[in-house]
Amino acid sequence: MHGLYLFQGENKVIKFENVSKTYPGGVQALKNVELEIEQGEFVAIIGLSGAGKSTLIRAINKMHGITEGTLTVNGLVVNDLKGKSLRKFRRNIGMVFQSFNLVSRTTVIKNVLASRVPDMPLWKSLLGLYSKTDKIKALESLDQVGILDKAYVRADKLSGGQMQRVAVARTLAQDPKIILADEPVASLDPVTARQVMGDFRRINKDFNMTIIINIHHVDLALDYADRVIGIKAGEIVYDGPASGVTRNTLNEIYGGSTEYEREIGEA
Amino acid sequence: MKDNIRKTFEAQPKTLVRNVLIALFLIFLMYWSSTAIEYAGIHQGGTNVARNIMRGLINPDRNLLFSTTAQGVPYLILETMAIALLGTLIGAILAIPVSFLASRNLMPKVISGFTMLFLAAVRTFPAFVYGLMFIRVAGPGPFAGVLTLALTSIGMISKLYIESIEDLDRGIIESLDAAGCNTLEKVRYGILPQLMTNFLSTTIYRFEINVKNASILGLVGAGGLGAPLLFAMSAYRWSEVGAILIGLVVLVLIVEQASSMIRTKLARG
Amino acid sequence: MSFFKNLFAQKEITLSNGKVVKQPRSIVPIVLIILGFFVYISVEITGFDMQVLIRRQRFFFDILKAMFPPRWDFASDVWQPLFDTIKMSLLGSIIGAVAAVPFAVLASQNVNQNSILRNIIRVVFSILRTLPTLIIALIATYIFGIGTFAGTLAITIFTFAIITKMLFEQIETVEMGPFEAMESLGATKTQAFIAAIIPQLLPTYLAFCLYCFEINVRYAAILGYVGAGGIGLLLDEKLAWREYSRAGMVLFMLFVTVVIIESMSRYFRKRLT
Repeated sequence: MHGLYLFQGENKVIKFENVSKTYPGGVQALKNVELEIEQGEFVAIIGLSGAGKSTLIRAINKMHGITEGTLTVNGLVVNDLKGKSLRKFRRNIGMVFQSFNLVSRTTVIKNVLASRVPDMPLWKSLLGLYSKTDKIKALESLDQVGILDKAYVRADKLSGGQMQRVAVARTLAQDPKIILADEPVASLDPVTARQVMGDFRRINKDFNMTIIINIHHVDLALDYADRVIGIKAGEIVYDGPASGVTRNTLNEIYGGSTEYEREIGEA
Repeated sequence: MKDNIRKTFEAQPKTLVRNVLIALFLIFLMYWSSTAIEYAGIHQGGTNVARNIMRGLINPDRNLLFSTTAQGVPYLILETMAIALLGTLIGAILAIPVSFLASRNLMPKVISGFTMLFLAAVRTFPAFVYGLMFIRVAGPGPFAGVLTLALTSIGMISKLYIESIEDLDRGIIESLDAAGCNTLEKVRYGILPQLMTNFLSTTIYRFEINVKNASILGLVGAGGLGAPLLFAMSAYRWSEVGAILIGLVVLVLIVEQASSMIRTKLARG
Repeated sequence: MSFFKNLFAQKEITLSNGKVVKQPRSIVPIVLIILGFFVYISVEITGFDMQVLIRRQRFFFDILKAMFPPRWDFASDVWQPLFDTIKMSLLGSIIGAVAAVPFAVLASQNVNQNSILRNIIRVVFSILRTLPTLIIALIATYIFGIGTFAGTLAITIFTFAIITKMLFEQIETVEMGPFEAMESLGATKTQAFIAAIIPQLLPTYLAFCLYCFEINVRYAAILGYVGAGGIGLLLDEKLAWREYSRAGMVLFMLFVTVVIIESMSRYFRKRLT
């Protein structure tokens, strides 16, 4: 299988060593981040909007670059990857977005099959000729998130929660080792949000999948994740088990803002 | 493999056969249509013509381009615009009753159906047919052009008017009804405001198109840039051809720009 | 716009609580006056004469009456040019539509970063679009000789120009989210384009191509007038010879064809969107 060689060994470690990211305008999104995440951990990153959660998570698969320090994933220096090596690297990392990012006019299964495209010759992807193995894999992924029955339905006919599950199925069909989720439940109602978080927890347990989620619903973070990382103004201010998060911790992370008041009320 | 997965796999819609058939059909269509093309190679002297037109464009007849006589390009541009203006206005005004008759939400099906058919017939007549007919009535020249444009415009303008009418927001009319307005007031305050901007936008759009059409009508002898262009080409006076073409392109570009600016203003207010 | 509004003294309304509201004067009267002026000039230039119209209108209806009932036995002569017309528009539409794709991609801001190339393409296309199809056909007959080739060329160029414009406008407003998702799972830009952007564009593109084909069939009928093949030539001949009932037959068959094509096109376009 492609790219597997990039992830040999048991502990696939994501390591941030003194990582900083400064944007051209001078804004510093990440400051001296030190972080190590082992394979199979379920990590939730919480903090205010603009604190650096997105930058942190997107640095892992180089959707955003870093300006200082070393970020390695299982020994591979992410900053050095480009072109073909970057793409091979990304095959092993799935990403789930807040706005689902599905192609609304095509069917659910075609959306999931899209994750097989990088491994196919160009002409086959142009004509939509997926192999039987690929199709079965896609169906299995859909089954894992519980929407197998919607396989041939057009994507825009689904509810928000269902669409996000299709997005999760799409990443599962990649056979990734790590799943990154950038505010995956922000657009969903509370009940559906919990269903999707439950999916993540199940995937984490069943596949020993590393799951790193950006989330601003503190209650969901505490209920589902094992480990919580709190970010404030680009710096990590808390890094420990979810059970260890106290009112003081949240105070520190959210710094007495109104967003914090709202979040605290739900925690 | 789990049972339900196998079942779902087998339930997949069989689109492959249909897609292949469509592709084959398209290929057949292309082959069939190419049988009509007689490519006799470039006509003798054809490359010369092309080169000469290029030359004519680069070195246009300055006299013609800037002269103020009735043969000069500026006057022709003015004439073309005048034809387009009158033709569009007349067409737009005549199109109003026609389009009301043809809209399905205002008229019974019989009337609207019949009017639609009538409109389709009007639209099928190629413009030059009307041109030739109107030349019988008004003599060759721009007047015939105006009449031709008016008739051809009715077709397209009506089509767009009908769309606006069928898109009418009934809610506004309902609220006027609830406020106790009579029919005339409902039309004046409920229907007209919704339609006015659309009608205006449509008319301006059609004017833009008619400017192009007006220049073509000259080929039939109905005034505008077309006739002098034809004469110049048949007489191989290439620099004149260049001058006229440049005038045409400039005219259309300016009208297009102005038209889209006005229409965006209308749409956004 | 506000400049004009301020040009005229604004009517002031005093409310019962003392507040003063300025009501801007409507621009409509000015527009009407200017319009009226241009209409007057146009009437002068074009020699528009209502009386002539009324007096001589019967000539128009005479011809119309002579066309119908059409001469049914003429039908056999019409088939060939009619099919030629359809074939010309079909081929021209297909080639123009396909050729438009790479150019539209190059003309889009979000795909092609090179602004020089982009603007050159856009300018060339603006100019191509301004030239009326008939004039392109006329020039083509001079270069390639009379016949269907010139007409097909003109249609191809016309289709090419408008589809490119429509397509690049589409590409620029497309959702980039799925494209980003594809890149995040390791696809190249091309693969991401195929999997994420093409499915968004395809239905509208196809619908527009069908619409173009509809228009082109009617255009192709006109092109024959300059000798560029198709039914226009036949029609012109019959009219010149005053064989109106035969001309009427041509028009009738054209009408039926156009109605059929338009209904099919409308049906498929509805299915696509």
